[in-house]
Amino acid sequence: MITRGLLALGVAIVALVPAAAMAGKADDTLVYASDSEPENVSPYHNNLREGVILSRHAWDTLVYADPADGKYKPYLATSWTWVDPKTLDVELRRGVKFHNGDTLTADDVVFTFNYVQKPESKVVTKQNVDWIKSAEKLDDYKVRIHLKEAFPAALEYLSGPTPIYPAKYFQQVGLEGFSKAPVGSGPYRITAVASGKGVKLERFDGYFADSPIPKPKIGKLEFRIMPDSESRVAALMTGAIDWTWRVPHDQAMAMKSAPGISVLSAESMRIGYVAFDSRGTSSANSPFKDLRVRQAVAMAIDRKSMVDNLVGGGSNVMHAACFPSQTGCDQNAVTKYEYNPKKAKELLAAAGYPQGFKTEIQAYRERDYAEAMVGYLKAVGIDAKLNFLKYAAMRENLRAGTVPLVFNTWGSFSVNDASASTGVYFKGGEDDTSKDPEVIKTLTEADATVDPEKRLALYRTALKRISDEVYWLPLFSYSTDYVSTDKLQFQAFPDELPRFYMSSWK
Amino acid sequence: MTATLPLSDHLPPRSVFATAMRRVFGHHGLMLGGIILVLVALVAIFAPLLAPHDPYAQNLSRRLIPPIWHAKGTWEHVLGTDKLGRDYLSRLIYGSRLSLIIGLSATVISGLIGTTLGVLAGYFGGRTDAVINYLITTRLAMPVVLVALAVASLVGGSLQVVILVLGFLLWDRFAVVTRSATMQVCHGDYIAAAQAIGCSTTRILLSELLPNILNALIVVATLEMAHAILLEATLSFLGLGVPPPAPSWGLMIAEGKQYMFFSPWVIAIPGVTLLILVLAINLVGDGIRDATAPENRN
Repeated sequence: MITRGLLALGVAIVALVPAAAMAGKADDTLVYASDSEPENVSPYHNNLREGVILSRHAWDTLVYADPADGKYKPYLATSWTWVDPKTLDVELRRGVKFHNGDTLTADDVVFTFNYVQKPESKVVTKQNVDWIKSAEKLDDYKVRIHLKEAFPAALEYLSGPTPIYPAKYFQQVGLEGFSKAPVGSGPYRITAVASGKGVKLERFDGYFADSPIPKPKIGKLEFRIMPDSESRVAALMTGAIDWTWRVPHDQAMAMKSAPGISVLSAESMRIGYVAFDSRGTSSANSPFKDLRVRQAVAMAIDRKSMVDNLVGGGSNVMHAACFPSQTGCDQNAVTKYEYNPKKAKELLAAAGYPQGFKTEIQAYRERDYAEAMVGYLKAVGIDAKLNFLKYAAMRENLRAGTVPLVFNTWGSFSVNDASASTGVYFKGGEDDTSKDPEVIKTLTEADATVDPEKRLALYRTALKRISDEVYWLPLFSYSTDYVSTDKLQFQAFPDELPRFYMSSWK
Repeated sequence: MTATLPLSDHLPPRSVFATAMRRVFGHHGLMLGGIILVLVALVAIFAPLLAPHDPYAQNLSRRLIPPIWHAKGTWEHVLGTDKLGRDYLSRLIYGSRLSLIIGLSATVISGLIGTTLGVLAGYFGGRTDAVINYLITTRLAMPVVLVALAVASLVGGSLQVVILVLGFLLWDRFAVVTRSATMQVCHGDYIAAAQAIGCSTTRILLSELLPNILNALIVVATLEMAHAILLEATLSFLGLGVPPPAPSWGLMIAEGKQYMFFSPWVIAIPGVTLLILVLAINLVGDGIRDATAPENRN
């Protein structure tokens, strides 16, 4: 009773907030809220899930990976042929319009793929594009893509993080103008981008009819940024928003009994991990330079208990620096660390820290998980100060190597290949905190190896080395709770990509 | 009542101490506030003996256990556990230490600054007064929470930072009150007498003037202590005060707000505790003012 009373009170308070304009079925607007804001709406210029969602709704890719059967299907490309392992010819679909009325031609594809290769384009996740050497126009609807090396995962990348931009418009307005008024060819067109608030989208009526994506049933989408999970929950209960996620698991379970709310739990490709400053870039005498200290941390954190009690749902403890469904990701090839605080203390003492030490950990989401880890570290004597930041700020710190410990998560752009996780973080790129030459060499070789067995073996070697050296402490896979109004028909997919173009009102 | 009043003039005068005691014990607010405050102080001092669990010991499998008055409560965790399975009662008990340490230290720092400035301004007047008045106005023009937030986000939140920031921000009321109190007192005959027999200014200020404005100071000190405790909770709630996993009450409210819909006690318990402590301190301040106000002395 008390709970229900408080709930009503909270709901009443939220109802008073004027910004809580009603959303939903009545005005055919699906308002979805999430915690983080992409620093730039342009899909190549952020690496946040919120950005990926926008990318998949407002832009198209050459190839479509069908979530139902995982097969590659024609999308902007009607067909493709491998001339040799390093050359891919693509036949483009005719009659595809961009949101501004331009027709998609080979020029757009050539421009996009050549633009993202330029250093000044400042693509955030280079791994997504740096396998392409260049693109060449064969005729108006035919493009030849040259690869740097053979790259077996090419189609997987062409079906995800490589949307096609309108060449003429982009060159006219530049990145700055493009991020404020983006134009794509996707099922929804972006009508407004408000920094700090969110993004508005409208169904694109000129969307090509034979797209593998069905014509959207919902007329308008609105993405709203709401950092606090409790405000998202309150907004959902009052009907100010229709859909949200990243609500603490037990709260989501409790919301199942709330009227008008439906909760859907599904596994996702996202993994959480702790990255160590193993090279001592944050300070010359960083304790994490010592392997024993990193091992101690791995044994100090009870990941099993976090999975069982905090993360919940279908999440699992992770041991390798990738998601199990990704090609090349073998969880059994790596060294596993069990929870053993006693051993952790011994390792710390052996490393010269019998009394522990002070350090810092940065995080950007799931404060609870970070606090639990801080608690576990404290129990073995490591006094880690938690610094909670916005994602872009934390990522820059991670790249600059100024933080001893970072609690990060990675959804691999929903690319089902280990190169999209292990490759991003260990191949010597900007996000690589360990920069181990041995790992870099193995992974570079792996990505260019066509023979599947050889490629898997190389990945196993790299993942084994990463786990032996504890450059990362992989924590767990995420299970996502999607909480929405029960008037919304919503289907979840394991790649953690809400496909609102498939949703409808009940 | 009116008939008996004139009689009291003829009664032998009671001792000052007895009168004071009678006022103190006759004042319900002061008594109630005093008892609560003493209890909290005792709890803070004997925290290790009183707390049933380690306030930092987390047990994720025992998280969000409701307090004992709920059907699912257990005696093992009388006030339940928080989202990481830490015993709430133990955290509250240890949290009282933080609140009192911060309240007292910040008040001592701000009291020293404010009283020094106020006494100097009131006693010397003239240019000194003008300068100090300018300082007070400058300080009053700065919004406390905003400045505290800015400083805390620049240098990072920690116990010491919170104490120093609050100490250096909350001296204005001390300065204003002691300045006007000093102005009233410094024209008294005993000050003139002290000046006439050639006492040093320091001596006059410390042993003639200060004791006579002490009442006003104590009242301001209680107000500021309550203020400092609330501000600490505010800063910690906003994530810029005492860093986790310290059991600060403000931090406990912040950590609990995610769960307030379905586990309302996680914010209600520290919230009510904070309310009671601040109320008690204010009651004590009010009571001291009532008990020592000059109009009650006759």
